[in-house]
Amino acid sequence: MTAESIETRADNTLLRDNAEVAEALGRNYAAGFVTEIESESLPPGLDEGIIRQLSAIKREPEWMTQWRLAAFRHWQTMPTPDWAKLKIDPIDYQAISYYSAPKAGPKSLDEVDPALLETYEKLGVPLHERAALAGVAVDAVFDSVSVGTTFRKKLAEAGVIFCSMSEAIREHPALVQKYLGSVVPQGDNYFAALNSAVFSDGSFVFVPEGVRCPMELSTYFRINAQNTGQFERTLIVCEDRAQVSYLEGCTAPRRDENQLHAAVVELVALEGADIKYSTVQNWYPGDENGVGGIYNFVTKRGDCRGADSKISWTQVETGSAVTWKYPSVVLRGDRSVGEFYSVALTHHFQQADTGTKMIHIGRDTKSKIVSKGISAGRSSNSYRGLVKVEKGAERARNYTQCDSLLIGKKCGAHTFPYMEVKNPTAIVEHEATTSKISDDQLFYCRSRGIGEEDAVSMIVDGFCKQVFRELPMEFAVEAKKLLEVSLEGAVG
Amino acid sequence: MLKIENLHARVEGKDILKGLSLEVKPGEVHAIMGPNGAGKSTLGNVLSGREGYEVTEGSVLFEGRNLLELAPEERAAAGVFLAFQYPVEIPGVNNTYFLRAAYNAQRKARGEGELDSMQFLKLVREKLKIMQLSPDLLNRAVNEGFSGGEKKRNEIFQMALLEPKLAILDETDSGLDIDALKQVAEGVNALRSPERSFIVVTHYQRLLDYIVPDHVHVLAGGRIVESGDRSLALKLEEHGYAWVAEHGEPAGASA
Amino acid sequence: MNQPARPPFVAALAEAPLPASGVAWLDKARRENLDAFVAAGLPDTRVEAWKYTALRALSQRSFAAGDAQALSRDIDPALLALAGIEGPALVFVNGVYRADLSMLDALPAGVDLQPLSHALAADPESLRFTLSRHYREPGDAFARLNGAFAHDGAVLRVAAGAKISVPLRLVFVGAAAGAEIAWHVRHLVELGEGAELTLIEQHLGAGEQAHLGTQLGDVTLHADATLHHVGLQQAGAGSSLVRRSHYRLGARAQTHLHALELGGTLARHDLRAELVGDAAGFHGHGAFLPDGRQHMDIQLAIGHQARNTVSSSTWRGVASGRGRGVFRGAIVVNTGADGADAVLGNKNLLLSPQAEIDTKPELEIYADEVKAAHGATVGQLDERASFYLRSRGIPEPQARTLLTTAFARAPFESLASERLREHIDQLLLARLPA
Repeated sequence: MTAESIETRADNTLLRDNAEVAEALGRNYAAGFVTEIESESLPPGLDEGIIRQLSAIKREPEWMTQWRLAAFRHWQTMPTPDWAKLKIDPIDYQAISYYSAPKAGPKSLDEVDPALLETYEKLGVPLHERAALAGVAVDAVFDSVSVGTTFRKKLAEAGVIFCSMSEAIREHPALVQKYLGSVVPQGDNYFAALNSAVFSDGSFVFVPEGVRCPMELSTYFRINAQNTGQFERTLIVCEDRAQVSYLEGCTAPRRDENQLHAAVVELVALEGADIKYSTVQNWYPGDENGVGGIYNFVTKRGDCRGADSKISWTQVETGSAVTWKYPSVVLRGDRSVGEFYSVALTHHFQQADTGTKMIHIGRDTKSKIVSKGISAGRSSNSYRGLVKVEKGAERARNYTQCDSLLIGKKCGAHTFPYMEVKNPTAIVEHEATTSKISDDQLFYCRSRGIGEEDAVSMIVDGFCKQVFRELPMEFAVEAKKLLEVSLEGAVG
Repeated sequence: MLKIENLHARVEGKDILKGLSLEVKPGEVHAIMGPNGAGKSTLGNVLSGREGYEVTEGSVLFEGRNLLELAPEERAAAGVFLAFQYPVEIPGVNNTYFLRAAYNAQRKARGEGELDSMQFLKLVREKLKIMQLSPDLLNRAVNEGFSGGEKKRNEIFQMALLEPKLAILDETDSGLDIDALKQVAEGVNALRSPERSFIVVTHYQRLLDYIVPDHVHVLAGGRIVESGDRSLALKLEEHGYAWVAEHGEPAGASA
Repeated sequence: MNQPARPPFVAALAEAPLPASGVAWLDKARRENLDAFVAAGLPDTRVEAWKYTALRALSQRSFAAGDAQALSRDIDPALLALAGIEGPALVFVNGVYRADLSMLDALPAGVDLQPLSHALAADPESLRFTLSRHYREPGDAFARLNGAFAHDGAVLRVAAGAKISVPLRLVFVGAAAGAEIAWHVRHLVELGEGAELTLIEQHLGAGEQAHLGTQLGDVTLHADATLHHVGLQQAGAGSSLVRRSHYRLGARAQTHLHALELGGTLARHDLRAELVGDAAGFHGHGAFLPDGRQHMDIQLAIGHQARNTVSSSTWRGVASGRGRGVFRGAIVVNTGADGADAVLGNKNLLLSPQAEIDTKPELEIYADEVKAAHGATVGQLDERASFYLRSRGIPEPQARTLLTTAFARAPFESLASERLREHIDQLLLARLPA
């Protein structure tokens, strides 16, 4: 495939929508600026030819191309999911461009377009020197390609592989081939199949036996160009007794059109391994009238494949027009542990349908679910979860707590937990409450001199405490700020 | 300092206060006593600006300003403090964090500088000693899991910290045993000064054995029907509120 | 076109003659219901309301429409007795009213109780609204079936202000019929303003014969009415029983439901309560105890549609043998239903390795002045309690039975009638292994 077939977009639409205007319009969405850099994209549309082109641009081996094509063929046979609690316009998959990359392909971080680095700067991404200060290794995915990975050397010394998925496919094909799709198969669901066909980049982490990853790993995702989707694929493998903590942050600029984000994340924990995966999701949520925003349809699943392994998901979801996401854990190994801590905040016309699945297969497996939903404006916020105890899961334990907080009369807060128990030694417990911020609490704060908005943030922060505690420190601070910003104008 | 004139207030369409007048000068302690349902708690809530309490007539001036126009947080910044009868629990919100937010918000509103967390912690530790509260209270969530006595002492502790000009204690004695009552009273007495005034709302006389008031008022049927010095409280104890009802009726009937 | 063949269940009923009423609107409604049933067939497990109850096996069987000998089936009167509770009773055998077994001679003043077949003959127009209803949800197959074929059932009206102290009984007997039959009963219960009533509904089996029974009931409470509704489901071992009850509560009306599910191979019970008047309250309590190969599926849905409405529900499940218990408890608080207070709890015991419990409490909230909470658990008997009993000399099996009975009876503690409470205790004790 040659460069001629790649459309260059330098790009009028970007100019129209310059950062200044966006900032003026978008006080409430601090990440809503557009970066003016030259990018190259595939033309909109999806067929086998596009997939072959994509695979060729990325210089992928033939097995990978075939893997994508198999996923695509399967996707074509699948019905579009109908959304239980979500109202969305039909998505035109032929109108989306499945590849958009900064034109000047970076070789190393020093070669990265300064405008891009500035973008990360605005986002507060601890990249480059900032990364050194923060002690975080960052893999930043801008639109579709990974632009730079810091701390490669230090990680390599420890034996940890942390690179973009594209690079992993080229450099570590055996590992990728062994694990890719082993947790989320190509045909798992509609969006996972689409992702398997067209994923453009993502992160790959491999922590070998007995190694504790010497630092927290982090990826920032950002959708910049118009009419593109972002389909990243992340794969994290921890061998026996290996350990890693991984952070993921997401932002996208303001646009009037809805953009699609359909990611797949696969985690594999072998015997005694421990994976902690934290997300702060702040994709553009659309404006106060529900115009624009990201459709965030994500499949995240962890496989506790070995005994005594542990996978913990923590997520703070404040962005996206529509979120559809159930980070799950398959508790296959005996004594394995799955956790899910979630804060999902919706405002204006946002819709979130999120939760988790805990599938208990091994003996003495344990899972814990803490979900905090906050609904404001005219938004809709649902927890949907499944706890399944299979026949052989002796003494499996689950505890689930789902609380919803309502701010305003026009929003909805819903809880749909499914419990399926087939083992008589299992104990499964679920509790849920729904309430509004109480007038008493607000008045108490105000009578001590704290203004109404501050009082609301304080109470919301307290409501989310159990989840924030699970986040690494700097993320917890960011998460708290995000909630404050997202709730602006929700009261009064 | 505080001047209430002919105050009428209504809750959920029901008239509760029906022409209450009261003047509190700097440094004075006023006790307001009365039977259940007399409107005692309503007074505290109206003064601190709780929603749902509709003032239909009358005025409240605090240091010459119209108190009723101010939002609850503005009243707090102006120096009005209500110690709640039932302090609400706020899960997950750290007590120290809450106190500092309140303290700094008030300072900021008055154009004073804010304290950083170290300075604040030092201040808090000093004040804690006064109330004989255990420092681990600071690490817990606001009022969460506090015993009844701890909640009340925590209210007084907040008062000590925020140093209001006018403190309204709403049935601070209810639910306290005698030892806790003494501790609360000691806390209050320590804060008495020529500049600071108190309105002590209570159903029982016994609190007034420990917090000695300058004036005692009897609230019945939404207005003050009897005022006097401390001996009035003792008379009430002896005769009960039935005596007031009889005694006070003619005044009410002639209104 | 390549139409898939109808499964035997649908095919058999598609060709069955509909009951003739001579009333044009009713004949039309029945025809429409049958057409809708045949067109959609039985729901599969992709339909959310049937997610945990597969009807594949049922769909492969065929049932004759009704029992021509229902009037002459021999029923032992002892079967119909209930804990010494006397009073008016309507008895149906295989869906047909049996005057000979019923007791209608001593109806209290203010009560109008008659079989649907009589009410239709006398005054069909007053039933028109209810009986010409359409059922449009994908899981509504049995309601459609009932709408097409039910020609008997109970019509019960209580006059405004009437407080009826004698409990009324509706008794449904599924009797062996020599062939697999399907029968259907339809109820209408209406309590006038301020009326009060205790209604006991029993399902019983006479003889072992596989059959299908469907029941569809509409219960309307006008303002300030109170209904104590007790359901004792002890259908025969071979029966499949699919019931659905709609409660509609006006201002301040209260329903107290106590439902025990013991019988049937497949027992499905849909309970829907709509709180349409301010301060209406629905208090639903029940237990289901699937054992052997029994499959029990309770679907409770409570809609808060007015201000200050209250619902509280306590359900217990005990699954043993190869039994499977399914519970869905949905609370919906609509826009404007400020002041709603809803709480629901479902606890389950899983007693054997082949048993299964699937539970799904749901909250759907569209108002903000709301207090709503639910909880669900699946687990075992408290070992500490069991140990305590044993340490006092009670042998383990007995200790288990004692604790299991105590667990299952909890929802019935709020039942006012001591006689019924004792009766339920006996049923539970007889059911659980000693």
